[in-house]
Parts: sequence; C-alpha cells; structure tokens
Amino acid sequence: MTDSSLPNSRRAFLKVAGALAASSAAGCQFETRTPEAQAVAGGDRATGFDRSVLDALAEVVLPGELGSKGRDVATGAFIAWTDGYVPVAEEMHGYGYADIRYLPPDPSPTWRSQLEALDLLARKTQQKPFAQLGPPQRRALLDVALTGHGAERLPAPLDATHIAIALLAHWASSPDAWDLAYGVKITPESCRVLADANSRPLPITGLRA
Amino acid sequence: MKTIDADILIVGSGITAALMAARLAETTKRSITVVEAGKPSTPLTDRTKARARFLAYGESPWKQDHLDDQNAYGTTWGFSPSMHVGGLAMHWGGVSPRYSPEDFRLESLYGVGDDWPFTYDELDPFYQEAEERMGVSGEQGPVALDPRGKPYPLPPLPVNYNLTQLQQFATRAGIATWSTPSAKNSVPNAGRAQCQRCDTCYPVCPTGAKYSPDFTWDALIREKQVTLLTQTLVRRLVADPKTGAIVRATGNLTDASGEEVTITAKTVVLAAGFTWSPHLLLLSRDAAHPDGLANRSGLVGKYLAGHRNVNAYLTLPMELYPGINAQHSLVSKQFMRVPKSGRYLRHDLRLWESSVGREPRLRDEKGGLQFGDAMLNDWRARAKGATARVRAYYDVIPDRESKLTLDTTRTNRFGDPMPMLAFRDAPESAAIKPWQEEQIAALFRRMAKAGNGTLLKMENSVNDLGQEHPAGGCRMGDDPTQSVVDKWGRAHDHENLWVAGAPAQPSAGCCNGTLTFVAVGLRTAAAIAKG
Repeated sequence: MTDSSLPNSRRAFLKVAGALAASSAAGCQFETRTPEAQAVAGGDRATGFDRSVLDALAEVVLPGELGSKGRDVATGAFIAWTDGYVPVAEEMHGYGYADIRYLPPDPSPTWRSQLEALDLLARKTQQKPFAQLGPPQRRALLDVALTGHGAERLPAPLDATHIAIALLAHWASSPDAWDLAYGVKITPESCRVLADANSRPLPITGLRA
Repeated sequence: MKTIDADILIVGSGITAALMAARLAETTKRSITVVEAGKPSTPLTDRTKARARFLAYGESPWKQDHLDDQNAYGTTWGFSPSMHVGGLAMHWGGVSPRYSPEDFRLESLYGVGDDWPFTYDELDPFYQEAEERMGVSGEQGPVALDPRGKPYPLPPLPVNYNLTQLQQFATRAGIATWSTPSAKNSVPNAGRAQCQRCDTCYPVCPTGAKYSPDFTWDALIREKQVTLLTQTLVRRLVADPKTGAIVRATGNLTDASGEEVTITAKTVVLAAGFTWSPHLLLLSRDAAHPDGLANRSGLVGKYLAGHRNVNAYLTLPMELYPGINAQHSLVSKQFMRVPKSGRYLRHDLRLWESSVGREPRLRDEKGGLQFGDAMLNDWRARAKGATARVRAYYDVIPDRESKLTLDTTRTNRFGDPMPMLAFRDAPESAAIKPWQEEQIAALFRRMAKAGNGTLLKMENSVNDLGQEHPAGGCRMGDDPTQSVVDKWGRAHDHENLWVAGAPAQPSAGCCNGTLTFVAVGLRTAAAIAKG
C-alpha cells in the first residue's frame, strides 16, 4: 500500500536481459502455470513450488491467527500470483518520467531454489525434512537462510530477495491483511460504494485471511 | 502514398484535442480529421483486468502506449512518453482545479513573469465548458478564494471519513479546505458510472467514472463527426512560401509499412502537448522558415513552464484508516491568492490520508526479522494514529531559455531528431527558490504543531530540474516579436495554423494543469469556429 502519487518501484531491466534470465528457468520439473497465465505470457514457463515445504514455511511466516485455513488461502493466492507473473512486462510509466521500464525477470526459479535449500538445510542439520520440523526449528533455519536479506521495510513482493519475504509481503499487500492490521473493514484498493466513504469503517470480528 | 483531405486537421488525440474536436463538431460543419501517431488505447471493457494486473504486478494497463523511437530527452521529469489515443489523459488522476485569477496577471500584480493576454474572467466560460464536458465534481470553495461564474456541473466527491478528520485539523491550523475538484462522476453522468473509489484513478479507472478522452472520441466516431487516423505520425507541416499558409501535413504510418501520408487541410490545429507541438514546428523548417514554422520571434520551444512541489508527511493524534479513498484529497487555494507585498510565493495546498509510517515492516526497531504474529502485532501498533500527506505546488517563472531543441544525436526511424528538454527558472524564481521552499516547509511545521502532531518527513520535488504539469513552448501574446501565437492560439506567422492548450500557455500556475489546458484549447476552438 503506497501513496498514490509516489512512483512505483522503479526497476529497470532490459528486455533482452530479462528474457534471458527468464529462459534459464526452463526445464525444471515443477507444476506448470495455468493455461490462462500461459496465454498471457505467451510461453511455456515452468513454475510451482513444493507445496509441503511452502506450507511449512507459511506456518512460521504468516500470522498464526490466520489459522490453517487462512494460511492455505494466503499460500494459494501467492502461488496463483507467481503463476500469473509475466516476466519483463512493461511497467506503468505514466506521468513523470520518460523512460520505459520493464518488470524484473521471473523470480520463481530463485524462490524455488531457496525453498529447496531450506529443505536441504533441514535434512543436513536436523536430519529431517523442513516440513517435519517444529515451528521453532523452522524459524531458526529461516533466520540462518535470511542472513543478509531484507531491509526494515517489507518490500513489494516482486522485490523480495527470499521466498519467505515474498510470501509474507504478498499476504501483507492484500486488502484483507490491511483490514486485519487496522481492525476495521476498509478493503483498500477495492471498488466500493461511494456513499459508504463518509462513515468510520466498521470493526471486523473473527479471523480473516 | 496515402492522401487525405480535410477542412480541419487536428494533430494529436489527447484531452485538449478531444474536447476541441467535440466543440468544433457542434459549432462548424467543416470536416475534422484527427491524426494520432500511436495506437488505440486499452478499451474500457479490458480495464478491469488491466487494473488487476497493475495492482498485482505493476504492469502497465496501457499496452504499447508509446513509440519506442519517439521520446524526449533531457530534463524530462513531468514529461510522459504516452502516445496513444487519448494521450496522457488516459491515465491521469482526474484532478481538475482552476488556476487562480492571479496566474493571469503575474507581471501586473507582482512584477514577475508575464501577464497572459486574457484574464481569468475571460477564461471562466471556457473553464465552465471544460468542466461540463468532462463532468467535474466539485465543491465551491470560499468565493474570495475560488471565484467561478456558475456552479460545478456535478456535486463534489464526498469528504470521506478520513478527510473529515483532516479537514477539522486544517481548520485548527487556520486553513480553509474543500473537496478537490475531480473529473470523476460523483453521480452517474453522461452514460458513465458513479465513482466507486477503486483508488486506481491513476493509472486506470476500471469503471469509466473518471473522464478520459476515449469517451469523447468514441462518441464522435460513432456519430461520424470526426475521422481519427491512428498510427499516423505527422513529421512536417508545409507552408506556402508566399502566403505562409499551411498547405499540407506530411508524415508516415508508424506501422510496419511506414507508408507515406499527406494530409491537406484548410485549418491546422496543433494539439500535441508542450513537447510535440513545438517539436513539429521546429522540424518543419524550410527555406522560407529556416528556424522552423511560426518562429519569427525565435520563441518556438522556449519558455517551457511548470511548477515544483514540497511534500511532507505529518503524524497526527487522530485515527485514520488508509485506503478509504486514497486518491481523493482536500484542496486549498488560500496561498494562491496572496498579497502584493513581500517576496513572491504562491502555492496550492492538498491534504490526503496516508499510510506512510503505518505500513507493515520486516524488521523491528532492533533490526530483528519479524514474521508471523510478531510482524502483525508490530503492524497493529504502527497502524494506530494517523499520517497526513500535505503537498504544495509552487509556481516557477519560466525563463526564455527554458527550452526544447532538436537533438540530432537521437533520431526516430525516419531520421527526425528527437526533442531535448531543458527547463530553467527565470532569475527572479531561481533567486528565491530556497526561501520559497523554506516558507512552505515552515507552513507544514506550523500545521503539524497546530494539530499537536509531528513532521514525519519532508521532501522536495524529485526531479532533474524538469517541472510538473508542464506547458509552454509556443507561448501566446499580443506582440508577434514576443510570442508564437496570438491570444486565441492562432500563429502570428500562419493564418491557418493554431496551437492549442498547454503549449500556448505563458505560464503553468501552481496547481494541476489539465483543466486549464482544455479551457485554453476550447477558447481556441471557439476562435477557429468563427473563422
């Protein structure tokens, strides 16, 4: 959630460089993206994560009050989001700057390898798959893996340098996350009735994902 | 070669061109042909999906809205390369304030810059027409600060819950504020929906509640009132060496064919904005006009104008909920209408809700990584309270050498040099810039204090000395030696050539400019219709 007048995160990537980086992901054995996303991208890009490791990561990354169902929804939304990504699409340039900018290469291959690395690290140091560790052990491994990652500000998901940060950032950018943090129903960036804008947002109750 | 004949040729299809074409179609029986170098823009039916991908990934909702080899260089902050049907106004924010009466009389009132060749009162009917054609929702401010001949055409966008709190704060700080006038439907209007505060006015309105020029073009084309030629780049205007009249425009298709195009027209209107209008005039130099067309004064491309801003975030002891309608704001003109005494400073003022300082963060105060409940609890603690964003646009008196020139080192596929922009403040502006910015900063500090708040952070325009809401390059005036076009927008040197909207303006005020660009263009359209 950013102020509307501020420019988007400005990532300058050359088309060619982005395309080369994206193509390096080809050949990995993971779930393929949805047909719709494939059609948008116009390519056959392999995506997908080991869901059991990702779920285990989500349990230590996402707020506990989401519950397992809420985490499942948030994790599913993250996967759908990565599946739908089109590398090196043109960024919104709009008012204020003349250069044409492009989105980054597909971050999924890096994020997949980081997920694999967490599992490998767990097997090497704990003799168990990551998913079979208790949350404190998973968090400890995550801290090791995240050495040197992340500034104070939670980045935009695409700018995340680690899948754990990306997963958290993706959830935190959702309208539901903002409502949960503020304790009221704002549903920012959603199309809503104009007249309701005059009222103080209603408090939310119960658990939300 | 493709040849076309028209009574009126309009170069450019942005917001000024669209609304001028609408007026001309109503007031003349002459045929109107409009040429646009780019492609049609994303249709309304695709904008919901385009918006979703913008929100998810930052993708541009406007596919291929520019030509890769047609861009400006230099001090380009404030410039957009958008080149498609509707131009930059396909993704404008819809904010539609008028300039203040003082903007038209800077020299007379303050001894800086130049007066316009007409007054605010003379432009008032065209402001009104622009507001009606676009559908501007607005609230009448205090009459002394916000004079207007007639009421706004649409009721104001609501001062929502957050803005109500901020308005009370502003009142305590001694500042009168009201709902920012916006070309967004506060009620269903002109076959378009009521605003649903989707909060992506910039860059894309998914409902059509925000005015954009495609709506006008669609209607004009449906009624067969204009011919709109897309992917047609006008590269030269050709003047009769004896009479000076423009006899034809020549160019090429920008598709793969690159086919040559010639358009003959009795009247030629440049409505291609502050960059491409003077650029075309400079490109069109010939033996009789070695410095370019309409350039007897040597001022084509000169006096580029705009404004800069100071922006701040205030932490206030109240509860705000970011996202209720983040793109709507309060406005004040209190500082645009200043006394003649003292040093020169005029600025607008806008107030928004803000999420700055209230976002989630990855690391806590000690630098430790936060995940799960720790992160959410930290966010909840940060979410309490309020941040207000305040911003002031202050005007910059343009220097004669604030200019656009042809850069022969950068050319398009046809070998035409691209524009090089170099904004420059007039000496009277440059001398007081630090003082002006400090005055605005002091105002923000006073506001924070009045609200028992604190100044969270402050920043000046992020720029390369470019300026916002730019205008100029073909300035209007009564003296042919000191201006490019007359007070109606007609070129002093070519009786059938008109320059419309932003490029004709002598200055760019201290607020968003689009409404004024359009009003000036409509005034020119009225003169064209008279013949």
